[in-house]
This record gives sequence, C-alpha cells and structure tokens, in this order.
Amino acid sequence: MSNVAGAPGADAATPAEPVAERGRSEILHFAGRNPKLLIGAGVVLTLLLTGLIGPLFVDHGPNEYIGPKNQPPSGEYWLGTTSFGQDIWAQFVYGLRSTFMIGALGGGIAFLLGTTIGFLAGYKGGIVDEILNLITNVVLVLPTLVVLIVAVSYLQVEGLLVQGLFIGLTSWPWAARAVRSQALTLANRDYVDLARLSGRRTWRIITSEIAPNMSSYLMMSFILLFGGAILIAAGLDFIGLGPAGGVSLGLMLESSMQWSALQLGLWWWFIPPGAGITAIVGSMYILNVGLDEVFNPKLREL
Amino acid sequence: MTLRVKDLKVYYQTLRGDVHALDGVSFDLADGEIMGLAGESGCGKTTLGKSLIRLDGRMRHVGGTIELNGAEVPITDERAMNPLRYHEISLIPQYAMSALNPTRKIGRMINELLRARGVRPSKVADELRRRLELVGLDPDVLNRFPIELSGGMKQRVVMVMATLLDPSLLIADEATSALDVSTQRSVAESMVEFRDRGFVKSMIFVTHDISLVYQMADTVMVMYAGQVAEKGPASTIINDPQHPYTKMLIGALPEVGSTTTEARLEGIPGTPPGLLKPPTGCRFKERCPIASEECDETPPLVEIDTGHWAACWKTGR
Repeated sequence: MSNVAGAPGADAATPAEPVAERGRSEILHFAGRNPKLLIGAGVVLTLLLTGLIGPLFVDHGPNEYIGPKNQPPSGEYWLGTTSFGQDIWAQFVYGLRSTFMIGALGGGIAFLLGTTIGFLAGYKGGIVDEILNLITNVVLVLPTLVVLIVAVSYLQVEGLLVQGLFIGLTSWPWAARAVRSQALTLANRDYVDLARLSGRRTWRIITSEIAPNMSSYLMMSFILLFGGAILIAAGLDFIGLGPAGGVSLGLMLESSMQWSALQLGLWWWFIPPGAGITAIVGSMYILNVGLDEVFNPKLREL
Repeated sequence: MTLRVKDLKVYYQTLRGDVHALDGVSFDLADGEIMGLAGESGCGKTTLGKSLIRLDGRMRHVGGTIELNGAEVPITDERAMNPLRYHEISLIPQYAMSALNPTRKIGRMINELLRARGVRPSKVADELRRRLELVGLDPDVLNRFPIELSGGMKQRVVMVMATLLDPSLLIADEATSALDVSTQRSVAESMVEFRDRGFVKSMIFVTHDISLVYQMADTVMVMYAGQVAEKGPASTIINDPQHPYTKMLIGALPEVGSTTTEARLEGIPGTPPGLLKPPTGCRFKERCPIASEECDETPPLVEIDTGHWAACWKTGR
C-alpha cells in the first residue's frame, strides 16, 4: 500500500490521461507490428476506397454499351470490354461498391439479430433462453440457400436492400449461438452479479458489463458475418437471382459465364470480379486473425 | 431497533425437494450494533446475508418477516427492493475481489452504480474521495482499472462503494476471508471506523473467523443447520457460551499460551445434518454430548440473560 490516509493535496485529475494513453498506445504498438492485420486491413481498405471513389471518375453507367466489343485491357478501357462493349472497369468499381454494401447490410442485420438474441438468451436464461434457443435452432437447420432461392425468385427481388435483408434474416443463428455461450459464462461473473444487485436494467448490464468483456469476440463475429454475406450474395447473383438491372461482382461473373467468356478466352471479363470477391473475403478473414492477435494478450507475440 | 428478523424461512428449490437453508431465523439488531455471524459452512450464514438484500432465482421466501427501522422490507418484490438497495441495505459480497468489471475504470463503475441508484455522481464525489482516503487509498484509484489494484485495495474499494450512500444496514459477507492477516486487520478496523463515524448504522459481519469477530463485533450470533443456536454479547459468547454447539465451536479454537502437550484441540465429531430433509427436534442432537429425549422436541430460542439468547433445552435452567 503506497498510499497514506488523508495525504494532503492528492490530485486525481492529472493521472487520468497516462492510463488511457498507455492502453491505446499498447494496442497501436501491437497493431503496427502485426503483418496479418496490416495486410488484411490494407487490402480491404484499398478495395473499399476503390469502390467508393472509383465510380466518381466513371462518366457513364456500368451497363451502358459504350465501346468496341471484346477488347482486352488497354489504356482506354483499363479492364477491357465485354462482348457487348460494356466497360469492365466501370462494372468492377460499381460492383465493389454494391458488394461492400451487401456485406454491411446483410452482415449488419445478421449481427444485430444474432447478438441481441444471443445476449438475451445467455443472460436471461430459463424460459427466455429455451424459446430463443428453439428459434435459433429452427433457423439454423433451415436449408438457407434453398429458402433464399425460393424467396428471392418468388418475391422478384429488385435491389440490394431486399437482398441484404434476406441474407441478414437467414444467417444470424450461428452468431446467436456463439454469443449466447459467451454471455452465459460472463453472466455468472461476480461483477455482473453485483450489477444485478445494484438494480441496474438488464440492457444496461448487457451493454456495460458483459459486452465490453467480449468485444474482440463480437468484432470477429461481425467480420465473419460480413464476409459470409458477401459470399452468399455472390452465390445468389451467380445463379441469376441477383438484383435485376444492377451491377455486382457476382452478376459480372454470372454474365461472363452466360456469354461463354471462359471458352472465348475473355479472361479480363471473369478474373476481376472473381479476384475481387476472393480478395475482399480472404483479406477480411486475415484481418480478423490479426485483430484477434492484437486484442487477445495471450496470442500476442513480443 | 434497526433490524428485526422474525421467523425467516428461505428455501432453495431443487429437483429433489426444498433445501431448508434458513428455517425460522429470528433476531434483532440494534442501532450501531456490529453483529458477527458465525457457524460452519452450509449453516445458512450467506443465505441469511443474501436474503436481506436480494433473493436469487433459486431462493424461495417461505415465511417470516424482515423489518428495518420499523418498516417491512419487501424482500420478495424485486422492484420494491430496488430503492432500498445501497440506500438502506447494502452488501459487501463474498467475492469482493472479483466484484469489479475488468474492462471499466473504477471511478466510472462507481458513477454508473450511483446513477443506477438515482444519485448524481458529482454530488457525492467529494465524499467518495474523503472516504477513499479514510481507508488508506489514494483517490487516484478512481482512474485505474481493477487489475492495477491489489486484493486488499479492491476489497476496500468495494467497501467504500457499498457504504457510499450511508445505508442503515451493511452486510459484510466473508469480507476479510480472502485477505492476509495484516490486511484483514486494517479492513476490519476501517469497518468499525465506518460504524463509529455513522456511515453505516449497523452491520452484520459474516465470517468463519471467530477471533476476528471477537475483536470487532459487539454481539455474536452462532448459526447451526439453518437455525440460530445462540446470540449474545461477543465476550459472553466467547468466554461463557451456553449452547453446547457454541461451546464446542469455541473449544475447537487454539488458545494463545496453551501448548499441545497439555491438551489436544477437540474438533466437533460428526457432520451437520443435510438440510434437504432436516431432522426433527433439535438439529444438533446427533452430535451433542448432552442430548436426551427432550431434544426430540425443537427447542425455542429463549432469552436466558439480558441480550443473550440460546436455543437449547439444557440452558433454560
């Protein structure tokens, strides 16, 4: 005990910064030295920026027939043209945009649903847990892709929003289960018991006592859901259930297959969207591993 | 009279039936009284402490009343209990060492707790600082994370937190058990000081450690198998216990100055009865050296001397 009772002039205002700063700089220190995190974040950010800024420099729509047909990449058409004379670079940057959109939308909805249900089930326990678990298990064993195909084809989905909603509503169960099991163990911690004793509201306890103690876990769930939503969307687009008249990396793949780009040797038509999807999802997973290593002291390498 | 507990019965629900953890506990606690609550593991000490502030999911209130400052404590009503918590009744939990959220700074955590109780943190900020200094902590701990504090410091933070709103009744559940002897002493001393300064009116101090109770408590209550065995002034209980269980419990303590060659320390043979189907009559009769037929009837808790209560057929005469 270094403190003396009643020590005069003890000023508590000043030491606040060093503690916070140290915590932040420690994370930065490990983040800056983690190649997985740097590479993953670099690729994801580059593609995101391309998707955000790229379309601003394209002065025609992505599906307009503007140029000569079947052109390989050149100075004028960076990624060449399709067999209808569409600019593949324009399609690619617009496609990136919608791919990130669908990831944020589908992944976001699934994350919100999954964590809410998981937290409630894990924290409340009892009958609430039983019911929520039942719902989770039912959705979990639904043949998701088949349901999606049926729903999407019957409802004539136009537009990203509805597609994202469908993906979000079907891909949350595993996140709910994972969050539930974590919340279950955290809910029995002593400080949660004390918070309960002090009469705090359930929601406050979950957000202030339980969630911060599993923040890296939540981050990981979100990234995995984000990547998953992109893949599902690409799959749906590829089998022709994407938003009609729109553009996305999955739709580019679909039309390149439909017009036999592979057989005709138009490699510039199908490689960019395929590589784009792979790069986004792959680097997100790498980013996820890197983040885990930065935030989890047990995985840190000095 | 601060606290009056009458015939309190709290059972734990299990699939095999009710566990009679508290079976008719009655006692009074005066203003300014520090009561040590002693007994073996599983005798209902912690259950009693918890019953006074919050019943958890498995605990069922079967009967009896709790009165605090003349008003009944609505123990079964979670919502009605909320205003009382920390304002009137407060608890230093058994697990005080791990009662602080590792991801929050201590000051922030205390502020959240105060807000949950409808108190503006700025109103009590100065008082908080003063009290931290009183227990020998630099107010700087408010800017630290729990991991940066030692066990004794955490214990004292929890203590300050529990008493910040000047409760009438403080329940300290094994508050010193996890500490080393010297820290134990300073924590116990600060508790007495808190009482002397009027931060808490009266206190129930749950512990196994009878010697510590003797040092700081005014009265001692000994429990056995969910019931009160004996309650009286601390010196009477230690020096002149009447209930055979208390006698054997005190007899099992080593004494300063005695050597092992003179007399071996006697334990209490046997184990406490299971509380799933508690035996009829006196619960101690199986292990009691002076038990007779009359012990098949449950002995009432009677006042055998002023402020000295015991539940045994043999002490009445």
